[in-house]
Amino acid sequence: MTRVFGDPVDVWVSDGRPVRFVWRGRLYTVRRVLEHWVTTRDWWRERQPDGEATGEREFWRVEAAPGREVGVYELRYDVPADSWMLSRVWD
Amino acid sequence: MHLHVASGYSLRYGAASPAALAERAAGLGMETLALTDRDGLYGAVRHVLSCADAGIGAVVGADLKVASTGEERIVVLAAGRAGYRSLCRLVTAAHAAGERGNPLVTREMVGAHADGLVVLLGPWSDVGRAVAGRRPDVAARLLRRWRGTVETAVEIVNHLDEGDGPRAARMLALARAAGAPAVLGNAVRYLDPEDHPVAQVLDVTRRRVPLDRRHLDDRTGQAYLKPVPEMRRVAELACGPDEADALLAETRRLSERCVLDPARDLGMDDVHLPSAGGDPYARLVARCADGLARRGLDGSRTAAARLDDELAVIARKGLASYFLTVAEAAALIRARGIRCAIRGSGAGSLVTYALGIGDLDPLRHGLLMERFLADSRDGLPDIDLDVESARRLEAYEALFDRFGADGTACVSMMETYRARSAIRDVGNAVGLPPAEIDAIAKAFPQIRASQITAALHDLPELRQSNLASGRLEVLFRIAERLDGLPRHVAMHPCGVLLSNPTLRDRTPVERAATGFPMSQFDKDDVEAMGLLKLDVIGVRMQSAMAHAVAEVARTTGEEIALEDVPRDDPATYALVRTSRTLGCFQIESPGQRELIGRLQPRDLDDLVLDISLFRPGPVNSDMVTPFLEARAGTREPAYPHPDLEPALRESLGVVVFHEQVLRVLDVMTGCGLSKAEAARRSLSHERGQAVVGAWFRERALARGYDAETVERVWRMLTAFGAFGFCKAHAASFALPTYQSAWLKRHHTAAFYAGVLTHDPGMYPKRVILDDARHFGVPILPLDVNRSAQAWHVEPVSEGGPAGIRVALSEVRGISDAEVHKIVDARPYVSLTDFWRRARVSRPTAERLVLAGGFDGVHTGALRRDLLCRVGALERSAAPPPVVAGQLPLDGADGSGLGLGLVPADDAAPGGLPPMTPAEVVEAELDVLGMDVSRHLVTFFDGLLDALGVVRAADLPGRPDGADVLVAGVKVATQTPAVRSGQRVIFATLDDATGPVDLTFFESVQDRCAATVFGRWLLVARGRVRRAAAARPGSGSASITAYACWDMTVLHEEWLRGGMDAVRAAMAGPPRPGRPVGRRIVHPTGFAMSPYSDVGHAGGAVKRPPAARLWHTSRGSSGPTP
Repeated sequence: MTRVFGDPVDVWVSDGRPVRFVWRGRLYTVRRVLEHWVTTRDWWRERQPDGEATGEREFWRVEAAPGREVGVYELRYDVPADSWMLSRVWD
Repeated sequence: MHLHVASGYSLRYGAASPAALAERAAGLGMETLALTDRDGLYGAVRHVLSCADAGIGAVVGADLKVASTGEERIVVLAAGRAGYRSLCRLVTAAHAAGERGNPLVTREMVGAHADGLVVLLGPWSDVGRAVAGRRPDVAARLLRRWRGTVETAVEIVNHLDEGDGPRAARMLALARAAGAPAVLGNAVRYLDPEDHPVAQVLDVTRRRVPLDRRHLDDRTGQAYLKPVPEMRRVAELACGPDEADALLAETRRLSERCVLDPARDLGMDDVHLPSAGGDPYARLVARCADGLARRGLDGSRTAAARLDDELAVIARKGLASYFLTVAEAAALIRARGIRCAIRGSGAGSLVTYALGIGDLDPLRHGLLMERFLADSRDGLPDIDLDVESARRLEAYEALFDRFGADGTACVSMMETYRARSAIRDVGNAVGLPPAEIDAIAKAFPQIRASQITAALHDLPELRQSNLASGRLEVLFRIAERLDGLPRHVAMHPCGVLLSNPTLRDRTPVERAATGFPMSQFDKDDVEAMGLLKLDVIGVRMQSAMAHAVAEVARTTGEEIALEDVPRDDPATYALVRTSRTLGCFQIESPGQRELIGRLQPRDLDDLVLDISLFRPGPVNSDMVTPFLEARAGTREPAYPHPDLEPALRESLGVVVFHEQVLRVLDVMTGCGLSKAEAARRSLSHERGQAVVGAWFRERALARGYDAETVERVWRMLTAFGAFGFCKAHAASFALPTYQSAWLKRHHTAAFYAGVLTHDPGMYPKRVILDDARHFGVPILPLDVNRSAQAWHVEPVSEGGPAGIRVALSEVRGISDAEVHKIVDARPYVSLTDFWRRARVSRPTAERLVLAGGFDGVHTGALRRDLLCRVGALERSAAPPPVVAGQLPLDGADGSGLGLGLVPADDAAPGGLPPMTPAEVVEAELDVLGMDVSRHLVTFFDGLLDALGVVRAADLPGRPDGADVLVAGVKVATQTPAVRSGQRVIFATLDDATGPVDLTFFESVQDRCAATVFGRWLLVARGRVRRAAAARPGSGSASITAYACWDMTVLHEEWLRGGMDAVRAAMAGPPRPGRPVGRRIVHPTGFAMSPYSDVGHAGGAVKRPPAARLWHTSRGSSGPTP
């Protein structure tokens, strides 16, 4: 089943993609990137858009495991804020 | 290496120029680059040239829409010469198949042109759609069909949108299963990731919707020119490392195979003239000999020698059929009775004169061939023909009839984003209200979009508008980035390609709005492609003169051949010397009237000088004053060296013409005129100046000229050389200048009828109308029984002076069909009669009434009553049907004896007050755009007299430097380039006694610019400036203004509180001035304002503003009559 979270996570990145992350105190190792996509910001809705930022949001859907049981996790990276969060989990 | 790239030539889609893309691709180490613009090859030639400059291979293709239920697209690439030919023909077929602006192909059409084409099927193809819809079976079948039709490759694109990666993997799997080649693409739209907001604005502008995620093609910002390693990384994410490498290798292989050779494949190394047949050179020689004899030059040894020289160059360059073609084109146009004159450097050739292309004898006017045609000039020479603007398309038809639809096409041009259009489109995208967008856009002068922020800071009229308050910052920032992007393909106003039937293999052709076949290439492109472009320019003055000549023939029976009119008529030059030259070609602007006043032309050569002197170059180098002084005899003409006297005598020692630069270079270096022409062309840029300077000094010193003379001559050449004017061009302009002045002098009413009908000049028609009054031409009001489609000449009474009758086409909103119906069903005995038989729309009938069109039918009736009558007529039942075999009730003879046609009934007084003279004039301005019955300013006479305003007619009597108030209707504003590099505003007011010319320098623009540009009726204060060499009473005095006000505001104050209130309103505190923007300094030292020569802020001056002119309050119906 799918569960939706908005928890901040710490993510280790190597070669431009996430390899490990810590969620609720547990370390998850990324086994495989299932999908990666990006979206731009709705700059025209913002009060003070700087219009210069790029790759505003990156999404990574990955297979990861804290131990043996493998789950699918969706990580979201906010480029301007330089912050990661766990947005969805399938297990 | 990129195979799928859109530039800005994909309208409202791509955001980068072909040159920028090529340069970037080379910078990223790519060896090839494709340009595959949407719907055409508009950018292809630029792309090929840019790639050559950048040292990479150019691939050319197009991104074409496929006829289907959804929006399907394929990319078609050209391989080799056959591929380019097929691509041109396929694009032409796509435009012929779809409706205009929506070209379409089918798989069958692609199959019909498959030779040398390679189709890429990406996510937007039917195959891609089937893969996205998880129908691999359908996708495989569709792919098989394509591969059976044309060489096909699958294009893998991953823009990192949600689902893109898995889709790309499935697409690749499909290709692999089918054994089809697969390549990597990025459907590029811009250079850098930061450019994506521009693409997003273009997406919603194309769809005419406001910005919203669901309307965007680009939601990820990934459609930039990605470097190869990034492309590999994206492919690897979706398809794995091995496939990523394989895809890159296949992409490289295909792109290398599709690189086109500009010479071999596109034919850029040759010229492609119409097929002449036989020996064109022999025919040309014979035609020239005949021509010289016809012109009476067959005995002249000078002419014979000159002709031999010119023919020798033509023979060496193989251009005989070119000249024969142009001569034939000019003859075809004239055979249709269309006025046709040569313009430009071509007038300097004896061959064009002998062939009858032009009517100026180059020997008599000292014109040189080398400026036009020389061994040192590359490419095809340029001959331009001026024809009547109203019959330009008829001239095109003559050419298409003769040279065939396959071998002929118009040239296109791209309208690009400028400040106003960019603000409008971005404003709509971000969802601003239309009225607000309109107000913001019109606040800007007609500058480039990239100047928006600078203009907000620089221009006083914008600084005072609060536009720079921050709220609109996003709007302006994105609008600036649209700068220069093409936004609309239009037919070039004059270029026609004359070639042979291979033309359709060289350029795609689409239908222009006028219905003519039009090349997708612009004027520079066609030159690079070696195609002959003849400029057939529609000139309104030619139409105006044709109308005037026709009116003279109609009213007097006198047939005038303007070309045969003697060119030394003293009365004509006497008129020109008075500076009362409104309506005349080239010499009606305020600056020109001032120059004419100082120069006092006596013959055609003086007019040639005058036209050449009135350019930024001469004005900026301040060569005008020394010349005028020498001419007036107050200064001896100075020649840098006696050897140069023959070359410079005509302009008294000053270099005015390109031709003189050639002669000076030739005299000092002995290099010959052809080499001199090459040197002259190099003078316009810094690098060329350095090279030519070294060469010139060495040669001139070697020929024994002393160092000081050499330096002095060199300084003179660099100062004037780049800005001088081609004398042949000025001479070809001087002819219609003279002809128009001759018509004004000798056929005054017909001249005004022509000028008012075809509107050739810079002033609003109401100014021309007022000028006609001053020349004693009666203005006859609008009359449904007398006014024609165009202005015409009409004697005021039997045998009386000729007046001019207001034209029906002047009525706002009237259609051509309505005009014809009105004229056909004349005469009318009443408004009812008119309503029943002319069958015009109600607004048109009402406007005719308001502008007085029925005053002659219903003498003494009130326009307000007639207006009510129009409403009643519309409400009453439809006109009774005409039963077959029965006489129509209205009377078939038009005598109007039918029912309900009692005139008294029409004009029955309704108890409404009559319109005041002020209301009449207001109605005339609204309906006709001009004050016919009475000059507008006369309504303000009370105020102006109380203020002591000096009238235009009295200005010549005022001493230089006198402080005066002037007033009038604004009729023109200009910001030409001037010597100091300031942005100077020139404004002309019309005060019922003539024009008043005002100059506003930068120091006063803080307090004046907004009023000058934004208001229509002005009062201004300033000092009289008297032109140096002007004779007393010649009328060329202008005002250096330092304050101005809106006349209607002062008038209200006057009505409200008398003169005290007016004085209070005029006594605002002065604000300090400051410079308006930085200066652009040219290599020649000529400084220029970035705001010179741009259309001014606010609406057009040519028609009066829509707002009411004066407030009507509490029983007041306008100013006191």
